[in-house]
Amino acid sequence: MSNTSRWLKRAVAASAVLALGVTLSACSGTSGSTANSNRPENVIHVAVYGDAGNTVEQAMVDKFNATSKVQVILDRIPGANYQQKLQTIISTDAAPDVFFNWGGGSIQPFVKANLLLPLTDMIKTDPALQSSFLPSVFNAAAIDEVPYGIPMRGTQPVILFNNKQVLTDAGITAPKTWDDLLADVKVLTAKGITPIALGGADQWPTLMWFEYLFDRVAGPDLLTKAIGGDTTVWDSADGKAALTKLKSLIDAGAFGTNFDSVSFVDGGSPALLRTGKAAFELMGSWEYSTQQTADKAWTEANLGYTGFPSIADGKGDGADLVGNTNNYYSVIKATRYPDTARDFLKLMYSDEFVQAQLAIGNLPTTTTTEKFLDQAADPAYATFQFNLVKDAPAFQLSWDQAYPQSASADLKTAVSQFFTGKLDVAGFISAMQAL
Amino acid sequence: MKRPTTGRSRHSGGPNVGRPGFAWALPATIFFALFAIVPLIGVAVMSFTSWSGLGSPEFNGLDNWNKLLGDKVMMQSLWLSALLTLLGVLIQTPLSILLGVWAAGQQKNRAVLSAIYFIPLLLSSAAVSVLWRALLDPNFGIPGQLAGIFGGDGNLLGSQAGAIAVLTFVGAWQFTPLHTLLYQGAARSVPPVLYQAAEIDGAGTMRKFFSITLPQLRNTIVTSGILMVVGGLTTFDTVLILTKGGPGTDTTITPYYMYRKAFQSFDFGVGSAIALVLVVIATAISLIMVRATGYDKMNSAQEGI
Repeated sequence: MSNTSRWLKRAVAASAVLALGVTLSACSGTSGSTANSNRPENVIHVAVYGDAGNTVEQAMVDKFNATSKVQVILDRIPGANYQQKLQTIISTDAAPDVFFNWGGGSIQPFVKANLLLPLTDMIKTDPALQSSFLPSVFNAAAIDEVPYGIPMRGTQPVILFNNKQVLTDAGITAPKTWDDLLADVKVLTAKGITPIALGGADQWPTLMWFEYLFDRVAGPDLLTKAIGGDTTVWDSADGKAALTKLKSLIDAGAFGTNFDSVSFVDGGSPALLRTGKAAFELMGSWEYSTQQTADKAWTEANLGYTGFPSIADGKGDGADLVGNTNNYYSVIKATRYPDTARDFLKLMYSDEFVQAQLAIGNLPTTTTTEKFLDQAADPAYATFQFNLVKDAPAFQLSWDQAYPQSASADLKTAVSQFFTGKLDVAGFISAMQAL
Repeated sequence: MKRPTTGRSRHSGGPNVGRPGFAWALPATIFFALFAIVPLIGVAVMSFTSWSGLGSPEFNGLDNWNKLLGDKVMMQSLWLSALLTLLGVLIQTPLSILLGVWAAGQQKNRAVLSAIYFIPLLLSSAAVSVLWRALLDPNFGIPGQLAGIFGGDGNLLGSQAGAIAVLTFVGAWQFTPLHTLLYQGAARSVPPVLYQAAEIDGAGTMRKFFSITLPQLRNTIVTSGILMVVGGLTTFDTVLILTKGGPGTDTTITPYYMYRKAFQSFDFGVGSAIALVLVVIATAISLIMVRATGYDKMNSAQEGI
């Protein structure tokens, strides 16, 4: 009996020590200055948003690995909830060395938590890492003027798409001004066609209308100020005017009545446009490849595209853009091989990369892009987009990415409630001020 | 009588015959402690901190709780959770009692039909939600094609009433089979002698149902009711996929709001506070139900037979 209890005591003590030991060693591992010795040897992990565009990224990785001692491993993270998955792993030892992001607000919390490597030194060693990209795009991934991201993939401006056949049948043209748009809406509703397809269930397509209206009416400064902390701008006369204009478009029946049940992600709103049940859709440049996947012949013959209409008495330029400025690769501070990461990032401005991206329909923002435009999947569409971006006086990053992630859910709720009429102008303003 | 004093002789008789000691419950207890109690304590601690998932949590006292008290969406979400749960119980209970009693019959066709009817339960809630989301698409789904029946624009998910109706319907579609199964088993175990006696006394089908079947199903109604209430309060996947808490926040029930705060806004402190509220409410409701119905005494429904 006493033997048993002594054995038990010993076992308990031993396991307690073991548990403590594990905890202690874990602590010294994360808090020590040599955190990167915990990271795997001779490999760096590159995390990307998993989708059809991964073919080019894989090709770049293969090319790099052929000559490098430290190997690059491409981790494709399935697209939905990418940001959430990233935030879960980024402060752990399993964090990728280099990761895909949208610049701006999407990396700001990581910079604040001191997790990202400022790229200043890399750029000093290799100035082409900065000078090869269009400045407006490069700067969208700088936080407090310190660069944290190298552009990869391409720029994705938001464009007003249309169904050419529907426009011809209705005897109208794509709108150049806001008044044109209102007139088109009138004609289309009279014919029983939903003027504008909107994937309201996803909420972010709804947000695009706010982004353009505020830019056109109040100018691009309003959002810069609002994100900077000056929330009084929402209550300004310009802000109210933008909301009133948008409200009148909604009330005119421009989006039909059931947009809240329609989703872009499910293919609902693109199908409305393609089948002629709707005439327009405001969407990121990826609408083209979405439609192409669904019906290649239709897309080539019938998918029209124009910039967002200008608003006559507004403060914003009619050529301003909103959308995803670009995607970026950022490097985490804990990486064991910053030099390897730098060498890998150099590929992002290589001719081969630009050509490969153009071939799958993306539009890279290097200074060399222009000379390869004729090699794009659809040269006319690529040239159209490139000129939009080149000529734009301002390119506003999508609000949900410009704002920190913590504000994004409330932002989208306010946006969708304004469209359904649950929030009026004053209600929307106070919701935005509370972000 | 001298009570046995040593542990060994306990096995050979006395009041504890057939009652295994605590050691038997040890594996389950350890499992429960590791995977339920410990995380619960963690969540309780976290509800007093501010943490975005990066760096270390920082204590911020009662900030999260104060925020939650003044949060209209949170208060609304509690009412919505209660409403959805209540609707679920009110619709599924009569349906599953009737179906279960019907399926309890020994006829071949009933066995085949109840097997088919059981299928929705075998599908995951996520798959069921994706399926119904596609079927209810306003332009290309059933409402769009049968505009004559549904009327209007097929915007089922675009209004609060419509979205709640869809959630209730999909919940019922998936979970009625489970409760039907419970009632089928219970109805089969009603002693036939009761019905035979009632027939001799001249009772008809209706009378037999209300005076014998229903009272005999009492314990099953409580069991199934508790399952429905707890299941209703923790509903999440159908809302995430079908409505995303929308339109606006019109179907943002408490578990979905917790997810939104913790995993979309990365405010794990407030998320934990919501989780704790949910734990307290669900526990309280279960306890009240068990007490009020006398379920904890587990008296047999066959006393006096």
